[in-house]
Amino acid sequence: MSEQRFVQVEVVRYLPENKTPEKDEPFSQFFEVPYTESTSILDALQYIKEELDSSLSFRWSCRMAICGSCGFMVNGTPKLGCKDFLRNYPNGVRIAPLAHFTVERDLMVNMEEFLVHLEAVQPFLVEEQQAKAQGVQKYTETYQQTPAQLAKYKQFSNCINCGLCYAACPQFGLNPEFIGPGALALAHRYNLDSRDHGKAQRMKVLNGHNGVWSCTFVGFCSDVCPKKVDPAAAVNQGKVESAKSMLIQMFKGNS
Amino acid sequence: MSRFKGLHLEPLWWGLFSAGGVCFAVFLPAVLLVFAVLAPLGVIHLNMNALATAAGSIWGLLFVGAVICLPAFHAAHRIRHGLHDLKLGGGLWSVVLCYGAAALISASALWGWLALTSWF
Ligand code: SF4
Ligand code: FES
Repeated sequence: MSEQRFVQVEVVRYLPENKTPEKDEPFSQFFEVPYTESTSILDALQYIKEELDSSLSFRWSCRMAICGSCGFMVNGTPKLGCKDFLRNYPNGVRIAPLAHFTVERDLMVNMEEFLVHLEAVQPFLVEEQQAKAQGVQKYTETYQQTPAQLAKYKQFSNCINCGLCYAACPQFGLNPEFIGPGALALAHRYNLDSRDHGKAQRMKVLNGHNGVWSCTFVGFCSDVCPKKVDPAAAVNQGKVESAKSMLIQMFKGNS
Repeated sequence: MSRFKGLHLEPLWWGLFSAGGVCFAVFLPAVLLVFAVLAPLGVIHLNMNALATAAGSIWGLLFVGAVICLPAFHAAHRIRHGLHDLKLGGGLWSVVLCYGAAALISASALWGWLALTSWF
């Protein structure tokens, strides 16, 4: 059994009900939290909520890096709380809400600011929709895809919509209208899918100033992505696609 | 006009930036090593006459393009986005200033090449 040690955990909190006209700021609260080799950042927050201060708010669900709801800034770097461990921070740790998002309460941010961009790129197979418009209720045949066709987009399909890449992206910080790494990676994922027919609609979004062209290839999004999606690569492949699409539009007109 | 709707010049600047980046990485280190380190140190001796002839040929033009013009646009693009990151604008004036400077550098380099060619 690993022995139990203690570490100081600083949690950045914000309580909207405490706001006064003069003061509306987050504040830090410090806790001594026991930990072992297997105590995650999320475990620490749960310990604090259960044992020390039940007023603390944060989101979580799966505890296994799959739901994407436990994103926090851990010592300034975007991390999933359930995938990062206290043992990595023997000298203390500071947990803050994800950067670049509006804080709703304590560690909970307004994810809507990411979801609007996600929605804008239609992250789903578009053919089904068209079929509905044509009165087809349901495809009777299953979609077929070769392993090679699958391999094209597979890497980009692992996104769990955690938003860590948005907290890492300085361009999203400067311009919240920027579609952003995660959504652009998903746009690319569906554009590469042999079953999809929505590329023309997505390119309209990608081609704009707030699409792929807002990216200056900082690359931090790919460093922090817990699923190794490599959104930076997707965005920059998207630039090639966008340049092509704009050239075609120039010579052929809007199709 | 609908075929130009929503178009902008960013892909052009990005294309020049990408090409310039490749040139920066591939050619510039070699050029600097030869002309800025080895030659001044006397490690290698450059035959100036042969060099002048080569510079006036099509190779000279390629050299100007790969070592001066494209890297200039690469640098201009970086500086422009750097200005944007520092919140120093990113508007029209930075476009004019950065790519204008790169265009000026390119034009003078090309003029220099023209002056070297025998048909000038
Ligand atoms: S690309 Fe990675 S970091 Fe961004 S939302 Fe998806 S899983 Fe999270
Ligand atoms: S709790 Fe689901 S990703 Fe961390």
